Amino acid sequence: MKRIAVFGYSSLSFEAMGRLTPDHYSLLFLAKNTDEAALVRAKGFAAETIDFRNDNELRAIGIGTDIDVIFCFYPDDSDNVFLTISARALDKHVSIIAIVDDPESAPKLLAAGANKIIDPYEICGRKTHEMLTRPDIANILDNTVFGRHDLKLAQIEIPHGSWLDNIRTDQLDLKNRHNLLLIAVVDNTLDEQLHFMTGGNPLVLKSGDILVVMGPTGKIKLFKNEVEHVGNR
Amino acid sequence: MLTRLIIHIAYSLQLSSIYQRSKRFFHNLLENPNSVIKPYFDVFMICLVMFNVFLLIREVNTPLTDAELLFEDILVGIFITEYLLRVWLYRDTHKIILEAYEKATYLGIPFNPAHAIKVIISTKLEYMLSPLALIDLLAILPGYRPLRMYRMLQMFRLFKLFRYFNSIKLFSEILASKRFDLYTLATFLGILVFIGSTAIYMFEFPAQNGHIKNLFDAFYFSVVTVATVGYGDISPQTNGGRIVTMALIMSGLGVLSFFVSIIVSAFNDKMTVLRENRVYTEIGRYNHFVIICGFGRVGQHIAAQLQKDKLQFVIIDTDPTSILFAKQSGYLAIQADASKNQILCNAGINAGATAVLCTTGNDVINVYITLTSRHLNPNIRIISRVNREENVQKFYQAGANNVIQPFEIAGMVVAEYVGQPVAFEAILGIIREEQQCVMETLCVQTDSMLDGQSLGSINFDQRKLLLIGVISENSLHSQHKNRYTIKNQHFYFNPPDHFKLQQGDLLMVMGRDYSIEHFRGLIERSRLTLRKKR
Repeated sequence: MKRIAVFGYSSLSFEAMGRLTPDHYSLLFLAKNTDEAALVRAKGFAAETIDFRNDNELRAIGIGTDIDVIFCFYPDDSDNVFLTISARALDKHVSIIAIVDDPESAPKLLAAGANKIIDPYEICGRKTHEMLTRPDIANILDNTVFGRHDLKLAQIEIPHGSWLDNIRTDQLDLKNRHNLLLIAVVDNTLDEQLHFMTGGNPLVLKSGDILVVMGPTGKIKLFKNEVEHVGNR
Repeated sequence: MLTRLIIHIAYSLQLSSIYQRSKRFFHNLLENPNSVIKPYFDVFMICLVMFNVFLLIREVNTPLTDAELLFEDILVGIFITEYLLRVWLYRDTHKIILEAYEKATYLGIPFNPAHAIKVIISTKLEYMLSPLALIDLLAILPGYRPLRMYRMLQMFRLFKLFRYFNSIKLFSEILASKRFDLYTLATFLGILVFIGSTAIYMFEFPAQNGHIKNLFDAFYFSVVTVATVGYGDISPQTNGGRIVTMALIMSGLGVLSFFVSIIVSAFNDKMTVLRENRVYTEIGRYNHFVIICGFGRVGQHIAAQLQKDKLQFVIIDTDPTSILFAKQSGYLAIQADASKNQILCNAGINAGATAVLCTTGNDVINVYITLTSRHLNPNIRIISRVNREENVQKFYQAGANNVIQPFEIAGMVVAEYVGQPVAFEAILGIIREEQQCVMETLCVQTDSMLDGQSLGSINFDQRKLLLIGVISENSLHSQHKNRYTIKNQHFYFNPPDHFKLQQGDLLMVMGRDYSIEHFRGLIERSRLTLRKKR
């Protein structure tokens, strides 16, 4: 189970927390004051009050030990930059996702050690553009992959000793056997780039490669179990 | 009998498409500032007038040749035709007759054609007495031989240039708009010159070596001094005269500054309107374009994307800084309130616009723009940004087709990124066309190679494409599995090989852009071949 620390009281925080299922993620909201913490608790999330400028308090909530992901969702870019620097100093491997208000702050956040920058305005602009230029695709993906329908996109890493090791992608036949579509493969031994499965030369799969598949949740789960089951099929 | 004939002719003209078309053509040629042909006509007329001016100058010391005189006659012929066309274009005569007739019929009184004719004459006279029409008439008069000797009349041909140069027209409009200020200045100047002339005459005329010999000299001296020109041919000799001159110079400087400030402020006021008109003219030339209401961060991203796609758009925003930024970025922008009917109409909501994007940061304003747009055009596509989730329903009620919630989408991105970063980056890359692969839809059109074909017979793998699914409204497909209902359509994910395509189905495919384009081309060619065979 991944442990996520969420900083910053905003609609984005609640939106993200609401989408992360408690079965897979343990969420902790870090409020600036007791009122904020009470409001978050009222919405059903765990919350604590800390001063994010104090490294000891950050350590106390588990940064550097058991926190896997940090959301820096403060409305001020400067707060997010400071928190990112502090968290990165405490833990070199923690995944930091930060939002940016002013686009000029994005490189500063990256320099501070953030792994992913989220610009809500840019995302909104792109979304509107997609809706306008390719409404069919935007509509389908919104309602299926990103929506409430049972059609998802998933990544599956091939473990050591999996039956998929040394199998060619054209031998998989996920379409007929599993009702899944193999969208892309990340070849970890080659270039760690995404290779899209659109009828080009087939790839030989190795352990450590990541498969990106699309299909009904149940089918994905079955296939995932099959792949992760080390040994013979 | 005559009355019936007049009414019959008026109705015939009202219904005649040839008459209406010719009137529209000449209106576009002579009057419509936004028409495509008017600038060409204006340039042609400017050339004619300039050549005529050249002949005028030549005629001062050299008699004109027969060819030049013939050109003069042709020129006058063109001027007369233009003048008559302009008189004809000014209000529709048949409409005046029909209005009077219908009014009389409604009131149950006999129709009096004489009254209608009187209205027509007064309407046409109204035009003929306008300054530009008078210049046109005076430019024609020297064509009448006995009047050729009056060179002053020939000068009016030069004034005809006012008609064809927009900048000259603009300057006259600016002077007209500042009429009150200029009258005030002229009155002050008149009094100043009068006082100056009288004072200088009183001081200088009695002086023994004085240059002022009469009242006209005093007036001339005052005008030259107030204008701060000072030729020096007349100069004051007495102390009193010199004091008056100094006072005139100081006042003259004030008058000049005042005059310049009036003209500059008038230009400033007019330039905004002029720039807006230019934007509207530009929009008039667009066929399919998008109206972006709000040029904040979201609007800026959309504009950049649309420009990348080479799609046409116009931006409306109330904030002058945003508009300045939009103009600096080379976009077509109007500084106005997009919730006003007139603004959206001028921006072309019913004249070529295909979509309205409400992207301001304020839900209240976005709802209002959505509502206004839907009211003005029931069929236009409206995509609105909404910041608070509780307002989403209000946007759909107001008539939005799609609603975008920035924080909801960002939250989804964050959640997906945490769970499946690789998968999510892949799909986002495809959607944004940042990867080598793109996702597109291909329509199954009647008579194309896809119509009636089963999916198994189309070798997508060989065409270097991956079929994701089929979007369809057709109920014939309802027996297939993997069906997802989306609004009034169905999405069939990973359809089987025996899935038979029907007209109107959309294939959702993934592949390199050139693979998709090649396949699209094949579909289009197959349609044409099948049609030719039939």
